[in-house]
Amino acid sequence: MKITINNYHAIALWRWNLKAGLQQHQPANAQPTAEGEEEEEEEDDDDDDDVCGICRVAYDGCCPDCKTPGDECPLIWGECTHVFHMHCIIKWLDTESSKQQCPMDRRPWVTAGAAAPPPDAPPAPRQAARVA
Amino acid sequence: MIKIWSMKKNEDAAAKKKPKTSAAQIRVQKDLTELDLPSTMKTNFPNPEDLLNFELTITPDDGMYKGGEFLFTFTINSNYPHDPPKVKCVPKIYHPNLDLEGNVCLNILREDWKPVLNLNAVMVGLQYLFLEPNADDPLNKEAAKDLRENRSRFAQNVRTSMRGGYVGDEVYADVRPKA
Repeated sequence: MKITINNYHAIALWRWNLKAGLQQHQPANAQPTAEGEEEEEEEDDDDDDDVCGICRVAYDGCCPDCKTPGDECPLIWGECTHVFHMHCIIKWLDTESSKQQCPMDRRPWVTAGAAAPPPDAPPAPRQAARVA
Repeated sequence: MIKIWSMKKNEDAAAKKKPKTSAAQIRVQKDLTELDLPSTMKTNFPNPEDLLNFELTITPDDGMYKGGEFLFTFTINSNYPHDPPKVKCVPKIYHPNLDLEGNVCLNILREDWKPVLNLNAVMVGLQYLFLEPNADDPLNKEAAKDLRENRSRFAQNVRTSMRGGYVGDEVYADVRPKA
């Protein structure tokens, strides 16, 4: 049998690699994951885990003040392992009532891995190509 | 690639045309769809277009305030969820944690507010005040004193006040359900 492909559309999708963020910043708690095997395992048991606790928008979306997700609206990890849109947590920490605490657990907010990755290397957004 | 860029431009243009829904509105919308209230609480939107100003009625089915109907107004400013909602009790009631103007002393509406809380948490917190009024950190000092010193007298005062009676020098609102 012969198949002639007349046409195809390549589609790329990305999402923040939440686990990579934790690994990078929390080597103690994180499970090392081999590059290839994380393809299908990221289905979360709880959808709520995938939204920023402050604005309740998906991590892969952007904070309400931004228009486009991605590098323009990055995520930030605390040493407490909680993740927020960077803009959301900065806005909160700027308020007096925040007392500089993580809004999830009220521990003092410490940005994990204070040596943040350079802007052109975000915490490994995952690339996947699919043929439709 | 070129196509993607032109699509993005179109999206940007569309975003500009639409009246901007504020961050607070988006968040409130989400909070409201996630509301999971017991039958003792009902929300009401006097202006259905305006999600930032609405009412909540609590009709406790237990405790000393059972039999009363308590109306609250919620006012949410544009900085929500970084600022807590402003909540006021409309009728003047006899309660250690509410003052005579209807201001509410509830930790999560003040010092313990954090933006990961939502409207459901606030509402459940309000209902809890009716089930377990507490004498610490009071806004109505007389009521708190009564509660601390003589619980049964306090309960009697609550009943009197809910009928629109006097407790001490103050006359309170009749909060029995109409009709």
